[in-house]
Amino acid sequence: MLRRSVGAIELRDVRRLFRATTGTLRRHTKEIVALDGLSLDVGEGELFGILGPNGAGKTTTIKVLTTLLIPTSGTATVMGLDVVRDAKEVRRKIGFVFGGERGLYYRLSGRDNLRYFAELYAVPPREIRSRVEELLDLVDLRPRGDERVEGYSRGMKQRLHLARTLLHRPRVLFLDEPTIGLDPIGARELRRIVRQLHEGGATIVLTTHYLFEADELCDRIAVIDKGRAVALGTPADLKSNVSDLSVVELEVFGIDAGTVERLRALDFVDSIVVEQRELRQVLRVQTRIAERAVAPLIAAVAAGQVGRVAVREATLEDAYVRLVGRVE
Amino acid sequence: MTAALRLAVQSAWVDFQEVAVNGFLLFGAVWQPFFIGVTTMYMLRHRADFDPMYVIVGTALSGIFSTLLFAGSGAISHERWIGTLELLVASPASFFLVIGGRLAGTTVFSLLSLLLAYGIAALLFGYPIAIAEPGWFAISLLFAVAALWATGMFFAPLAILWRAVGHFLLGLEYPIFALSGLLFPILLLPGWTAPISNILPPYWAAVAMHGAARGDLDLPGLLRAWFFLFLTGGALLLIAKWLFERVLTRARRAGTLALS
Repeated sequence: MLRRSVGAIELRDVRRLFRATTGTLRRHTKEIVALDGLSLDVGEGELFGILGPNGAGKTTTIKVLTTLLIPTSGTATVMGLDVVRDAKEVRRKIGFVFGGERGLYYRLSGRDNLRYFAELYAVPPREIRSRVEELLDLVDLRPRGDERVEGYSRGMKQRLHLARTLLHRPRVLFLDEPTIGLDPIGARELRRIVRQLHEGGATIVLTTHYLFEADELCDRIAVIDKGRAVALGTPADLKSNVSDLSVVELEVFGIDAGTVERLRALDFVDSIVVEQRELRQVLRVQTRIAERAVAPLIAAVAAGQVGRVAVREATLEDAYVRLVGRVE
Repeated sequence: MTAALRLAVQSAWVDFQEVAVNGFLLFGAVWQPFFIGVTTMYMLRHRADFDPMYVIVGTALSGIFSTLLFAGSGAISHERWIGTLELLVASPASFFLVIGGRLAGTTVFSLLSLLLAYGIAALLFGYPIAIAEPGWFAISLLFAVAALWATGMFFAPLAILWRAVGHFLLGLEYPIFALSGLLFPILLLPGWTAPISNILPPYWAAVAMHGAARGDLDLPGLLRAWFFLFLTGGALLLIAKWLFERVLTRARRAGTLALS
């Protein structure tokens, strides 16, 4: 479902610099560029994904848009309001969830946490009780609402965060890696709620490291790297960038860096990624000639080091790897 | 009840539930005054001029001040540690009001030290508890806790803006006890310390509460103490308001609200 109409979010040439100090006795300050002239538009009602490697600027982008950071230069607006000048108004219209367990009062119950945050967002007193119950239902926490948060599982805390951010019926939601660290069932449940909110008309900006999640949920995706947008489009658009490629996956054992470099130098190899899985490694080789590439690839690895071999179509993850050139 | 008052009361209630199980603040509000009260009464009880009320008020104020010193200087960093600071700052609510409410909860909790001080005198040492001017004492207590709450509000942004100052503040606990006459009369101190005492809210709190409890301060004297509590507390609160703005602006510029 793609519902782009008026701009809910606009970023124009946003730069954000941070100062970092190094050294103990002789201290030096250096500037780190977190956002380097980033420009993006998100339409109202859109579910927009931001992908990128660690340090690419995803969280900085979210923090600028949620008024927690002032851009060094450039402008950012949410629902037509400037995030620097109209910060207080912006805050009334947005909700946000940062991934992880922190950000709740652990000695209070889930229900009391929601009541308190409802006060912070000036939810009318006569609505607070019903709104809290409604949201506890939405995130399936009502039966455990009176328990202290310190006894909640990570998934429950994350669902409570989502309920917390919906208390004041925000028009724009920012979800920064909301499924990080959740077990598969917890993550699936959270994705179900996100989809439900999107269907209800909310504008959602989602950052994630899970590419299948972005593929499954997002209307459009921006891939950012080193503080700049390197690609923007629907998941299908991004995948079309690798439609000429297939992926050969080789499970190998004890392969060294020299061998990987030898494989990378083969003329039919577009890119290669090594993923460590316990004692084995998985080589993901992007190539235009998958069927004909398998035999030379196996031959290039020492005998007895190759296990399972599979050939598959390129996915959004492969498109991402091609764009940013590395995996995390 | 207006939204702002509701928010302050809710913040106080959240804080009260948290500090009630916080071992560090329990030390400030209960154990430390307990040791101070018992030790002082034990040491001084045989002196001819010994007045238990002096120790009761001093012990109670030391507990209230210590609790607010620790809670105030850790108020913002505590929110940062538990990851709620960004949520509070990015909410439309006034951060000053939120922290103000939280410290009001701590202040109410710190009044435990007053009950404790009376308990020690009455139950452990058998002194009769008699407040000479109960009405004036209640007003003095109200002014005192309000001014000490304002002191806590002053410490909160100060400890964040200048971390070294925050550590230094914690070291000022006993010097402020001494300069405020909480443990012994300030007449025992050199004369040049008097102006310092005069700008400290705990000093005026001690003057008002001692005077009302013992009945040895007339109404003009009490009014003077209340006025200075209002003046010193109000001045600290105004400075605190300005410092809170600086904390928020600086944090948004430097990106220092989160731990990571």
